Amino acid sequence: MVDICVCVGSSCHMRGSYQVIKTFTELIKAEGLEGEVALKASFCMGRCMSGISVSVGDEPIEHVGFVNAQEVFYTQVLPIVKRLSSGAQPDCLAE
Amino acid sequence: MRKQQLFIDAAYESLNHYGEELCGDKVEFIRGEGFFLAVLADGLGSGVKANILATLTSKIIATMLAQGAGIHEAVETIASTLPVCSERGIAYSTFTIVNISDDGRVYIAEFDNPSMVYCRGGRLEPIARSELDVSGKRVYVSKFYAEQDDMLILFSDGVVHAGVGRLLDLGWQYDNIVKYIRENLKPGIAPRELVRRLLSAVNTLYMDKPGDDSTVCAMLLRPKKIATVMVGPPMSREQDTSVVNKLMYSQGLRVVCGGTTSQIVSRVTGKELKVSIDYENPAVPPTASLSGVDLVTEGVLTIGKCIDILRGLNDTGPDHWDQIALNKQDGATQLTKILLESSTEVHFLVGRAINPAHQNPGMPVSLGLKLNLIKELSEELKKTGKSVSIEYY
Repeated sequence: MVDICVCVGSSCHMRGSYQVIKTFTELIKAEGLEGEVALKASFCMGRCMSGISVSVGDEPIEHVGFVNAQEVFYTQVLPIVKRLSSGAQPDCLAE
Repeated sequence: MRKQQLFIDAAYESLNHYGEELCGDKVEFIRGEGFFLAVLADGLGSGVKANILATLTSKIIATMLAQGAGIHEAVETIASTLPVCSERGIAYSTFTIVNISDDGRVYIAEFDNPSMVYCRGGRLEPIARSELDVSGKRVYVSKFYAEQDDMLILFSDGVVHAGVGRLLDLGWQYDNIVKYIRENLKPGIAPRELVRRLLSAVNTLYMDKPGDDSTVCAMLLRPKKIATVMVGPPMSREQDTSVVNKLMYSQGLRVVCGGTTSQIVSRVTGKELKVSIDYENPAVPPTASLSGVDLVTEGVLTIGKCIDILRGLNDTGPDHWDQIALNKQDGATQLTKILLESSTEVHFLVGRAINPAHQNPGMPVSLGLKLNLIKELSEELKKTGKSVSIEYY
């Protein structure tokens, strides 16, 4: 399970966290990823200056907005999710 | 065993004599250490003259009694201070004094105002009054113990005379008012709501043109409950632990406002902060949960919205009072509910650290504005009858 965190602090909220969460929720459902990722909200992540703060696992993604949310999901979020879930499993789950 | 400490939830409102800008009735509240004092004064006539008489009377009595003077001294001081009316040749203002200790002891002194109405358990309780001669004035004094949920209601004679000579030959009359109070006295009714219901009836009887200044004041005894609200990170990091401890060891309800602030509380207490992903209202950021804290919200935006709700409540006319329901689940509504309905006193622990994110030109909220927001919030809360204190870190 990989955590996707979206900041809902004051600054990110004003930039449109609500729309990003809504878009991500829809895309996770559309891609059938409910069993692989957990979408979470977080208060201030301390990166207010660079757009709506999102992190996947421990990896930050910057400059997310409600306009590019879908694009970011496919070009940045999804690759990290795939890498983390394939990289994290072998030790304990393979075979 | 010491009795439960009580808080007096008090509200009053006035209707001015038709065409007058000033009210000839005046209510003065003083919240002191362990007591609550209310004085209702009704100056002779209406307009400026009556306003001056009533203001002097209520202010002098309230200030003197709060400083420990006796009723005789206070009344003598008024008698020798009030200006004499040039038309009528007398200096005159009626008054009712109510002093309630936080253990429920009530002292009442009434002079020429309609008698106070005392309600216990939805029923009207008669009060034993004894006559006292104070510098030639006949003052009625009563002493008794009131309990939690009891309500005390005062009104000026403008209420008794409502509609006189127009809709009603003799006016509304005392007995009918008492009956109306009894009919409207539902359990849990807020003093301000009762005040507004009475005045709205008065206004109707006067056909929107009150022939006399009309004032109603209601006081409800509630168990004392403090809400402590931590908002903003302290200026220096070394203070984090002591401020968080102050919050966590406080009695009553605990609230944390602010993203960074709630992370500090989480770090110091070692409890996990879980931010909800459900937006109850897209305009208000989601709330979070933290063990030991009753409510965790985002900061400035939620507080701003909370001020809007309170302002709406304070400014609306009596007709709309019933329609404002605090039944939504977003952070601002929940915050308003805790501050307005669940607590009787609010204590703010305000941190003044500057949030770098808020220095961003895209962010419409600056630190100065944040401190102003807390001040505005406390002003609105005071208008609803809460006692509010602020501590800065």
